[in-house]
Amino acid sequence: MLKIEGLSVSYGKSLVLNGIDLELGVGEALAVIGESGTGKTTLGLSIMRLVEGTVQGIIRFDGKDLLKLTDKEMRPIRWSRIAMVFQSVNNVLNPVHTILSQVAEPIIEHGLSSRKEAQNRAIELLSHFGLPQSCFAAYPHQLSSGEQQRGLIAMALANDPDLLILDEPLSSLDAINRADVGRLLKESATGHIMLVFTHDLATASRLADRVAVLYGGKIVEQGPAQDVLSRPRHPYTRALIRAYPNMTTVKDLQGIRGRMDGAISGCPFHPRCTQAIDICSREVPHLVSSQEHQVACHRGGIVTLLSTRNLTKSFGSLKAVDSVSLHIEGGETLALVGESSSGKTTLAKTIVGLYQLSEGAVYLEGAKVDSWRKDFYQSVQIVFQNPGESLSHRLSVLEAVVEPLDIQGIGTREEREHKAVQVLGEVELPQSREFLGKYPHQLSGGEAQRVAIARALVLEPKLLIADEPTTFLDASVQAKILKLLLNLQEQRGLSMLFITHDIALARKVSDRMAIMMGGKIIEEGPSSQIVVAPKQNYTKSLLDTASALRIDEPGAARFLISKER
Amino acid sequence: MHIDLKREIKESSAGKTGLVILLIMVSIATLAPLIAPYDPCQQSISSLLSPSLSHWLGTNQVGQDIWSRLVFGARTSLLVGFGVGIVSTLLATIFGVSAALVGGLYDKVVMRVVDAFIVIPMVIVVILVAAYLKPSILILMLLLSLLGWQGGARILRAQALSLREKGHIAAARSFGAHRFYIARRHIVPDLGPILVVDFIYSIRRAVFMEAGLAFMGITDPTVVSWGMMMRDALSFSYLDIWQWWLIPTGVALSLTIVGLTFIGYAAEPVIEPRLRGAEVA
Amino acid sequence: MNLIVPFKIERKMLSKRNLVTYTIAFLLILALNFLLPRMMPGDPLTAIYGDEALIAMTPEFKAHLIERFALDQPLWNQFGAYLLALFQGELGYSYYYSAPVSAVILGRLPWTLLLVGTSLLLSTLLGIVLGIESGWRRGSKTDRALLTGLMSLNGFPDFFLGMVLLIIFGVTLHVFPLAGALTPYAGLSGLPLVLDVLRHLFLPVAALTLTYLAGTYLLTRNTMITVLREPYMLTARAKGLTQRVLKYRHAGRNSMLPVVTRTGIRVGRVVTGALFTELVFAYPGVGCLTYEALLTRDYPVIQGVFLIVAIFVLLANFVVDLFYPRLDPRVNSAY
Repeated sequence: MLKIEGLSVSYGKSLVLNGIDLELGVGEALAVIGESGTGKTTLGLSIMRLVEGTVQGIIRFDGKDLLKLTDKEMRPIRWSRIAMVFQSVNNVLNPVHTILSQVAEPIIEHGLSSRKEAQNRAIELLSHFGLPQSCFAAYPHQLSSGEQQRGLIAMALANDPDLLILDEPLSSLDAINRADVGRLLKESATGHIMLVFTHDLATASRLADRVAVLYGGKIVEQGPAQDVLSRPRHPYTRALIRAYPNMTTVKDLQGIRGRMDGAISGCPFHPRCTQAIDICSREVPHLVSSQEHQVACHRGGIVTLLSTRNLTKSFGSLKAVDSVSLHIEGGETLALVGESSSGKTTLAKTIVGLYQLSEGAVYLEGAKVDSWRKDFYQSVQIVFQNPGESLSHRLSVLEAVVEPLDIQGIGTREEREHKAVQVLGEVELPQSREFLGKYPHQLSGGEAQRVAIARALVLEPKLLIADEPTTFLDASVQAKILKLLLNLQEQRGLSMLFITHDIALARKVSDRMAIMMGGKIIEEGPSSQIVVAPKQNYTKSLLDTASALRIDEPGAARFLISKER
Repeated sequence: MHIDLKREIKESSAGKTGLVILLIMVSIATLAPLIAPYDPCQQSISSLLSPSLSHWLGTNQVGQDIWSRLVFGARTSLLVGFGVGIVSTLLATIFGVSAALVGGLYDKVVMRVVDAFIVIPMVIVVILVAAYLKPSILILMLLLSLLGWQGGARILRAQALSLREKGHIAAARSFGAHRFYIARRHIVPDLGPILVVDFIYSIRRAVFMEAGLAFMGITDPTVVSWGMMMRDALSFSYLDIWQWWLIPTGVALSLTIVGLTFIGYAAEPVIEPRLRGAEVA
Repeated sequence: MNLIVPFKIERKMLSKRNLVTYTIAFLLILALNFLLPRMMPGDPLTAIYGDEALIAMTPEFKAHLIERFALDQPLWNQFGAYLLALFQGELGYSYYYSAPVSAVILGRLPWTLLLVGTSLLLSTLLGIVLGIESGWRRGSKTDRALLTGLMSLNGFPDFFLGMVLLIIFGVTLHVFPLAGALTPYAGLSGLPLVLDVLRHLFLPVAALTLTYLAGTYLLTRNTMITVLREPYMLTARAKGLTQRVLKYRHAGRNSMLPVVTRTGIRVGRVVTGALFTELVFAYPGVGCLTYEALLTRDYPVIQGVFLIVAIFVLLANFVVDLFYPRLDPRVNSAY
């Protein structure tokens, strides 16, 4: 019913929408998600031909190209076939007319009913959307924003349009109103086409079956709402979800580095993308339509950085790692949770090549790893539990951090030292001569671990394997190290394989979790899901015994500590 | 909000036109003794003459040279205008800003009185007073000032109220500044543009009032005034005299008022930026 | 004042003129009327009635007046007597016209009301309509022409404009009569009478309307420009409404509000203008009367005119204030 092809809108020199393709059929509801400045309001308005700038492309509605119609031909379509629910802001309704007259007005003006009938229908609509009778003769400034929004919705549905466009329909409402109005909207949408524009992910999932993510004037991802929101494929979508406070995600909030800029050549997201490659700055990627879920990315969406297939490591007859198949995507954190004999450290060491695998294979960026050489270590690095051991007591801080560069033979002496100092700054350690000359036994636990992390980062790896990195540290120091790791992920797009026995900790730092027991991965999935709806009993027991602050009796709190400590 | 009043006026064609007109009028008024060949009040027996080389615009019914009277009339109009304008705006500022800053009962009382004055038409009061007092130019100026400042006071008070809520005022108060300092340093400068526009419109109103009252015959007959000239000319409308007696006077008066209007109009977008771009040809 | 003031400031200015204001104004008028003659040097009777009138009075009548207005008693008593007379509808006696002042004024008042009323109505309606159309087409040739034209017209004092019109259309072209409200001694009635009145009314009304048109026009136009940018105009366009509906029901309805607020003040101005215009056209209204009274020093008439005109304007303002909240629903709740 509605098909948008190659829609581009520019105001003067700035290009706001750059080739939008969308399609909607009867009964469908699509939410276009975008933050401010992405052009979503322009998109909504251009369908109704209310946009001032230069518009190119095709908007096919019921067979006709709307962009080819004159304003006069457009008028009977407006509100009768396509209507818009505006965001309830100040002065969006005419202050000198009552809400009732404004709802009845389009019915009368489009010649659909007599005045009396129009008024009755307006009353019906307003009541249906929960506006009390006392408000009918009220003026807009006398209504709360919730009431105003209901009025706006009633008004939009006055002529029973085929296509309903909604611009941030729930943003001005408080949470309770949001639920109620959202429900009413969804009911009214049956049999119509609904196009929602919002920055709010909850609104999008509440109102729509499909979502499209808008960034920099282009649709970067599109697909079924549940799919896109729980398994995002585009780096921006994932980052957006990570930045969004809600009751489901458990990981700490992370931002997106950089900021949105105007004219960008190539992929609009590439300056902020942590997996951008050369072509991303030159060519604009298009939506690849494989199935339902489409992504516009030169790398096909979020890349799979490392994966293992049936990886097995046996010591004699004992299978420490038993046919493990997992994958880690670019820029995400996978937590590997298990108890001390589960084989998690063995797995880590096998992946990194410290143990030779018995069966199966390891793939790095799609290519099978036959031998672990220098180039592998430029992509994958590991940080061990005990910095007291992993740092040589012979080497000073500077020497320790420079060591990987020495081994790899990268750069001159000066460049290496410069790089080392830079990385030390990144892990928030002092960069003074004095500090650089210190030895591990002169450092605190937290400082030492930071040095170890710095050392691991100096080769600019894409994947950091952290094996219980904070077990030896105090809780407050642990918090800082974890925050540091999250920041590095946000800034560098660093992937992490975070190994821990503490599921409560894992919950806070990971996007996905894999539960390991006896060498096998028994459960795997998004962290939010595992924590709330674990399938395996073992997982359940892990959750039950995890550290928690429980308040049993009035005024008394018991701090339960997990078994292993 | 940084606004440049001078630039606004200079950039608009209306403003430029207005300024030019006003400048011309002011020059004429200033240079009056130089460009008027005769004493404007000197009567002679050569009355109701048509324009000639010795009398560029002819003479009136008592033989006074019309051109000279025209030129000196400019002085009267502009003097009254500016005088009333200054006093009016000053009073408006004092009362308007003080009402906004002091608030409370003082504010209420002042505003009630101001509103009361606004509702009473100025001209009829002046007529009444003039009937008894036969005012000189100075008394007239005083009267017009006392009756004309109220409109500006309301607007200035409203603007001062808006300004009072602003952040930098709150900051100044937190440093212990008292009201007079705040008025002087923070509020009055920001009121600049509105003050200027108020001033211009006050002048305009005063010029108009003076001419109208002179037309009615209320003002001092010994002072040359355009209004009075027009009144005299009216009695002789059956003759051709109106061409060089009435019209030049009326046009001079109208031009002055139009000039002031244009300047005021050009300055208004400074206060309401959304009007910017609404230009005259 | 023509000053166009931003909405947010306008709202702060709309402190309702309540009864207190009008009472103060009323008292001021009364006080001025009362005090002025009594503050003049010399005999209060002379001040109130004027030399010439006094000459014609008999001593008994003078004594009667002194007693009536308590002129030999302290000021308070005088004020009391003054008020008493006032509320009995007595405004004094005009010796020049040999009639009570109230009768004299009432005889002239209808013409002034006709003049003022028609001009006010026309200038308001035309101003609003032209302002709406101009604002809608902002920047176009029509707009610029109207703007320049009306602003220039605004500069012409009403009496000058009246004179120009009189000379062009009356003296030179002989299309309209030169003076008066009716053709004297014509003895007309019915439709010819109405037409006669209209013919005499035309030029003065034209002069007044044209002068005061600009104020309404400018205000409406400028408000229109602001209004057209408001969100609800986009909403209205989205509803597929016709241009006419958008212009008048949505934009216009909002744009005319500032004009209505100021109608009270405009009444004052138009009445003032009417006073001058009547002189030019020898229109037999209150203005002409004032002029005559000034010439003959007929103080009672002058005082009477002052009182009537001032109170009339007061009432007009009051009525407008009463009706304004009906038009702008935001006002009641704002305060």
